[in-house]
Amino acid sequence: MTIFLQSLISGILIGGVYALIGIGLTIIFGVMRVINFAHGDLLMLGMYATYFLFTLLGVDPFVSIVFTIPLMFLYGGVLQKVFINRILNSLPQNQILLTIGLGLIMSNAVMLAFTSDYKILTTSYSSGSVDILGISVSQPLVISFVITAAITALLYWFLLKTDTGQAIRATAQDREAAQLMGINVKRMSIIAFGLGASLAGTAGALISPTYYIFPQVGSSFTLKAFVITVLGGMGSIVGATLGGILIGIAESIGGVYLGSGWKEVIVFVLFLLVLLFKPSGLMGKSNA
Amino acid sequence: MAILEIKHVSKFFGGLAANSDVSFALEEGMIMGLIGPNGAGKTTLFNCITGYYPPSRGEILFKGRRMNGLNPDKVCKLGMARTWQKVRPLARMSVVDNVMVGALCRTNSLKTAREMAMEQIRVVRLEHRVNVAAGGLPIGERKKLEVARVLATRPELLLLDEVMGGLNPAESDEIIRLILEIRKSGITQMVIEHDMKAIMRISDRIVVLNSGEKLAEGNPSEIVSNPDVVAAYLGSEH
Amino acid sequence: MRMLPQSLVNKRGASPVRVVLTLAVVALLFFFPRLVESTYALHIMILIFISIIMGSSWNILGGYTGQYSVGHAAYFGVGAYMTMMLLQFKQIPPWYGMWAGMAAALLTALVIGTICFRLRGPYFVLASIAVAEIFRVTTLNLKEITNGAEGILATELPPLRIGGTVITDFLTKVPFYYAGLVCVLLIIAISLGVQHSKLGYYFQAIREDQDAAHSLGINLTVYKNAALAISAVFTSLAGSLYAIYVGFIDPTTVLALDLSVQIVLICIIGGIGTIFGPVIGALVLIPLSEALRSNVIAEGLIKSGLVNAESGVGTFLTDHLSHAHVLIYGILVVIVILYMPDGVLGFFSNLAAKRNRGNA
Ligand SMILES: Nc1ncnc2c1ncn2[C@@H]1O[C@H](COP(=O)(O)OP(=O)(O)OP(=O)(O)O)[C@@H](O)[C@H]1O
Ligand SMILES: [Mg+2]
Repeated sequence: MTIFLQSLISGILIGGVYALIGIGLTIIFGVMRVINFAHGDLLMLGMYATYFLFTLLGVDPFVSIVFTIPLMFLYGGVLQKVFINRILNSLPQNQILLTIGLGLIMSNAVMLAFTSDYKILTTSYSSGSVDILGISVSQPLVISFVITAAITALLYWFLLKTDTGQAIRATAQDREAAQLMGINVKRMSIIAFGLGASLAGTAGALISPTYYIFPQVGSSFTLKAFVITVLGGMGSIVGATLGGILIGIAESIGGVYLGSGWKEVIVFVLFLLVLLFKPSGLMGKSNA
Repeated sequence: MAILEIKHVSKFFGGLAANSDVSFALEEGMIMGLIGPNGAGKTTLFNCITGYYPPSRGEILFKGRRMNGLNPDKVCKLGMARTWQKVRPLARMSVVDNVMVGALCRTNSLKTAREMAMEQIRVVRLEHRVNVAAGGLPIGERKKLEVARVLATRPELLLLDEVMGGLNPAESDEIIRLILEIRKSGITQMVIEHDMKAIMRISDRIVVLNSGEKLAEGNPSEIVSNPDVVAAYLGSEH
Repeated sequence: MRMLPQSLVNKRGASPVRVVLTLAVVALLFFFPRLVESTYALHIMILIFISIIMGSSWNILGGYTGQYSVGHAAYFGVGAYMTMMLLQFKQIPPWYGMWAGMAAALLTALVIGTICFRLRGPYFVLASIAVAEIFRVTTLNLKEITNGAEGILATELPPLRIGGTVITDFLTKVPFYYAGLVCVLLIIAISLGVQHSKLGYYFQAIREDQDAAHSLGINLTVYKNAALAISAVFTSLAGSLYAIYVGFIDPTTVLALDLSVQIVLICIIGGIGTIFGPVIGALVLIPLSEALRSNVIAEGLIKSGLVNAESGVGTFLTDHLSHAHVLIYGILVVIVILYMPDGVLGFFSNLAAKRNRGNA
């Protein structure tokens, strides 16, 4: 029972970070209808930024998000302006391939610069643990979850309460209608990609104390991000939040009871089942 | 004998009844006009008939055979073909290849298919465009291509969804001529059209849909003098 | 009015010049091992052959039928693993094993197709990735059968005998070269056959507009599965060939997402939906990435005097450029998608068409 509770709690904690990744992807998809296959690579860039801020300047990984967020926002905006904007009206396949290409460039450029060696970021609290209701959980996980929750709350506030946030949501709902209403759709797209990139980068920063850092780390997170967003319904932010937590739990509990080797299989089988039987996502309306 | 019978067909999209309890029948060889204001449910009815989605209620009989639940490809093989209101050319294939795809429904030989395709291309008078990419045709010719392509599937019943929509008067006249020519070859037709003059001229019988329901049915002179129809049209278009 | 790019026109017959030229190229390829002694050249040719086979196979599903599978590593891996497992654990020679691989791939394709073809567009892409990942993780985990992450190393190939006489004992690269060449000719012949048949017309119709195709009497499930089946069987053949040529496979080389992406890129870069697109793609990609891998480019830059060998940049390039051969894939695909959506082949044939029209 304790093992179950323990894996449940760490699943939820990890799920918070997954939610950030999923929300980023879903915002990009919502606003532009582009599936960003470079999402995990954005996360990888966040990890490297955090790593170097820590090793070179001694910035704590959790503090470093103050730098990572604006940096990745800028980077995402530039990507959008230079590349993604030009293929918004082409075939979905070509959009997918372009983002795959961008992802390959990112991961291989990083490999070129920093080799493919695994890097480990060890902080004083990397292996620390905290007691929650008598169950011990990893300390960095708890801190990252708290930060995740704060960022998610801030993001919801931004999207629901600010004019820009509402404009983004309007664009996501109906691009053409938004344009007719006088919303600057191009600008919203840049903001959306910037947001997506900075959320992915933040997630990267938050997990860097607990994960190996290497150039190819992104692809598994890209896949996870797909699972999360499809699970929650493509384009749904609430869906992505819940989807992230659900995947966190499924992985964590699956890892304990089936062995860590098989936990990914569970995630993908779940993914296929959702794609097939409820392509609008667990949260979405059924279109039958 | 009735080639197509529509019996109490309803189609719901969530709470919206795009068709509700529609019934009528088509006699072999006739031209049936299907009219109604925008959003009346005409295209939806075509979609139900051709298996694009199953009707929520009711029954569709083609040559006495129940069609509910059959896929569009099966429907086409059985001899019922439709055009699309928003034309769907196979954009990166040439005109003749487009029509050949239709013809291949009846033959496995490319040679025969090409002959069948050229025959239909002559019928719609697109000979000068044979090797042009379908995606590059102007709208009038795309509509003709659409007709040639379905004709190549050798249908017994042809459903035409606004083939005159967006055309200039000269092009519309050509399509009218084409529809009358098709009738001569013995193919039954159901024609959706907004152009009243045209529909009155070509139809043997007309069904009027309004808000998903059948408002009236009769020959053209009955329809123009039907007060309900006049009210529906005046109410919605003026 | 826009005429079709040459590559998309279904030509009837071929000009005598083309036939002669093609025969000459094929003849040259058959004599190549006699003319060129270098094993490295043979090695590059074999890699190009394998790439052409997998690119052309994918092309039948992705290029002609428009179903962008980004999970073709699954079929490549099935072929590679079937062949290697039978060879190493059951001592069955690969020329039988590859048939088993193709049969397994066919079976897999039909199961996957029936499930995934209900999905369209990006959802199909995602499902194809998920399936391939399930294969990869399962292979990693079924250690008793597949050797897991350790992979399988082929100790030695038995000599190929026909009626008592030894045809080859696989001691040089030459037999692999010919095996690859024969398979390339086979898949090109099959692509040509598909293109000039009802299948090809139906595949293209599905690619252009599924609903229109459906309403014209095309059974989408049947024809999409047919395309996948052909595609999967030959991708599996490429996998078998790769496995016995390289002599070592593991899940991260033959079942990885990277491989699936690479298969797609071969076609995208060459030109999708054309017979020679994958050939061009392989001819561009393989030499480029091999040049990077073997440090030819770094050495060339230094020799040409552009970069000083002793300088920081020079040592950096010699040390690292070889690791970045995949980088070139990324850069190429971005350039191709943005500037040559019809691929290299389409780009040049459009260019030629423009020039012709300009002259006329
Ligand atoms: N797939 C669908 N999902 C939800 N609603 C639909 C769908 N298809 C049609 N509708 C709705 O059903 C109603 C009837 O639409 P339909 O296209 O059949 O009208 P129509 O008579 O063909 O109109 P028009 O003359 O403009 O072509 C409309 O209100 C439309 O919005
Ligand atoms: Mg309509």
